[in-house]
Amino acid sequence: MHRTVPSLPLAPSVKVKLINAGFQVASDLIDMRPLQLCKEAGISQEEAVEVLQMLRDDAQPHQQRAATESVTALDLLHQEQSLGSIVTFCSGLDNVLGGGVPVGKTTEICGAPGVGKTQLCMQLAVDVQIPVCFGGLGGKALYIDTEGSFLVQRVADMAKAAVQHCTLLAEDTEQKQALEELTVEKILSNLFLVRCHDYVELLAEVYLLPDFLSEHPEVRLIVIDSIAFPFRHDFEDLSQRTRLLNGLAQQLIQLATQHSLAVVLTNQMTTRVSNGQSKLVPALGESWGHAATQRLILHWEGLRRLASLYKSPSQMEATIQYQITVQGFRDATDEPRHASPSENYSKRPRMEDLS
Amino acid sequence: MASKKLRRTGVSADLCERLKRHQVETCQDVLSVTPVELMRLAGLSYPAVLELLRLVSKACSPTVRTALDLWRKKGELCFSTSLPVLDRLLQGGLPRGALTEVTGPSGCGKTQFCIMLSVLATLPKSMGGLDSGVIYIDTESAFSAERLIEMAQARFPEFFSVKERLLEMASRVHLFRELTCQDVLNRLERLEEDIIACRVGLLILDSVASVVRKEFDTSLPGNLMHRSNLLGQEAAVLKYLSQEFCIPVVLTNQITTHVGEKVHCPQRNQADVSTEEDSGFVTAALGNTWSHCVNTRLIVQYEDTERRQIIIAKSPVAPFAVLSYTVQREGIRLEGNENPESSLIHGTDPGLQPIRVRTGFIHNLSQATPSSC
Repeated sequence: MHRTVPSLPLAPSVKVKLINAGFQVASDLIDMRPLQLCKEAGISQEEAVEVLQMLRDDAQPHQQRAATESVTALDLLHQEQSLGSIVTFCSGLDNVLGGGVPVGKTTEICGAPGVGKTQLCMQLAVDVQIPVCFGGLGGKALYIDTEGSFLVQRVADMAKAAVQHCTLLAEDTEQKQALEELTVEKILSNLFLVRCHDYVELLAEVYLLPDFLSEHPEVRLIVIDSIAFPFRHDFEDLSQRTRLLNGLAQQLIQLATQHSLAVVLTNQMTTRVSNGQSKLVPALGESWGHAATQRLILHWEGLRRLASLYKSPSQMEATIQYQITVQGFRDATDEPRHASPSENYSKRPRMEDLS
Repeated sequence: MASKKLRRTGVSADLCERLKRHQVETCQDVLSVTPVELMRLAGLSYPAVLELLRLVSKACSPTVRTALDLWRKKGELCFSTSLPVLDRLLQGGLPRGALTEVTGPSGCGKTQFCIMLSVLATLPKSMGGLDSGVIYIDTESAFSAERLIEMAQARFPEFFSVKERLLEMASRVHLFRELTCQDVLNRLERLEEDIIACRVGLLILDSVASVVRKEFDTSLPGNLMHRSNLLGQEAAVLKYLSQEFCIPVVLTNQITTHVGEKVHCPQRNQADVSTEEDSGFVTAALGNTWSHCVNTRLIVQYEDTERRQIIIAKSPVAPFAVLSYTVQREGIRLEGNENPESSLIHGTDPGLQPIRVRTGFIHNLSQATPSSC
């Protein structure tokens, strides 16, 4: 009601004409009719109808929207638990993340070259497809590759290992039935792959994601590997890069919450020279550090690979060791992990229904 | 697709005109500004701008495939190097559609490896080749046509006993000599036509490092960033070419001294412990950013006077491994165990993997052998 005319999402020329005709606030316009508005402001009839429709959509559900827009923390708690998370098959990392990569949030994985970022992404793209009766999400995955490191032979190996793992766990008939459908080909067919060569193709793909997701509502994971490469060499104007990256981050978090999916981004490391000493920091600048909800940094310590949770709203900072085996991303210990089928991968205790 | 002109995307003609006045003509221009800015430039309301963005995005976005589509084309995913243990570790050979880097000290065999791959690419598919042409971009003038012929004859004597086949093989290798960074970049950006015309199946750039290191002195401020930008551009063009044409791209790199603590590597033998220096160690050149750009990194280093080693230092499919080889008339010959399991090692950051260089100069007086014609 109190919105000023310049703040409305209308075309600039229309706004200028409305202001010149003396309309300052939205409430001045609300009771007008199209023909009257057309004559007073000097805008065309279609533009007048557009203006009035926009105001009506804005104003009418305003009262109702105010009531439904706020959600209580209790509702949010139920929501968060029902969303679940994607296990990584590395129990150390799952513990640190509070069950796995969370759905409904964006997670950024930074790391030095060769440390395992692409391996982890491929592992997640396989793990998201584990059926619900085994504790997984039973969803599909979209893998946006900007680097060319996605090699399908490796994913096939990981898929085979995942199927074997589930075969060892299968106990009741529901699980055995689900297992019959879980083949390496099925897993590969549920993994959508897009190869973007520069930042323009990446931005275009993200603008088209809402359409893609409405066509494929079972997608539960979007991986962008890596978001750094296309943005690191084409930009003369770094402030433009920051604007585009911020817009991208906003769109991704919106998709994550609206469609209940997990968004995983990989970032590279860059050398920062300060006081004659050089050290490795995550690329894309300081402001990008705020973009993702959670930040995981993978790094080398001698011959060991470590993963550190660097930023998270709900988990404590921690570091664990992991390794990459022929089966994929695993714990650093040698013994294979046999989980019992009833074990819930989420480590947070389930709250009783408090309502 | 980013440079697609707006008028071909289905955007209305007068909107194209309005945008052209603000220098917004291609899809890239539209997507490089924020939606609010676009409202001002196009004179549209916010929902109309979103619709415009969707239309433009549809025109330049890449196609979505599934991993199963790739898997079905399994036979076309790799280029065999004719070194069986290396192929087995790499799950078929060098990946097509990705960048492979070979780095190491001078004289270790990088150019020999590249020449060997050139011969292999021209072979018919029944012999494990690609039956295609080769583009060899040479920045060090190290390519020798005589060596190419010698290697082909020594490696596949029966096949190349017919002289026409030798000549045909040699005519399929196309050599470009470029001596500055800008020349290399220009050549790469115009390479599409050559790749199609010569039916190229392998692209070799030997070497990336020599031109870059000649022109960029990284101790000067700002040069490090410029160098990284240039390398990033080269990598982006090479990845585009390799992906679109589904060909392997092989690059060579040099070495540099890294100042800092060395990482303990268990595959070194005891004799080297005494010569260890803590103040710096030799590693791959061109820095951390370049280590991110290449998909596969093979490091060649010296083992002793005769033998050298290939280390798989970075690969999306292969574990860390080290293989011994020697350079012979027929090119690279692997020595040692045929079993891939015995070559696995522990590795570290591929940008910081220490490389052993040739220390000392030991020579044996050899009999002069007449060169074969």
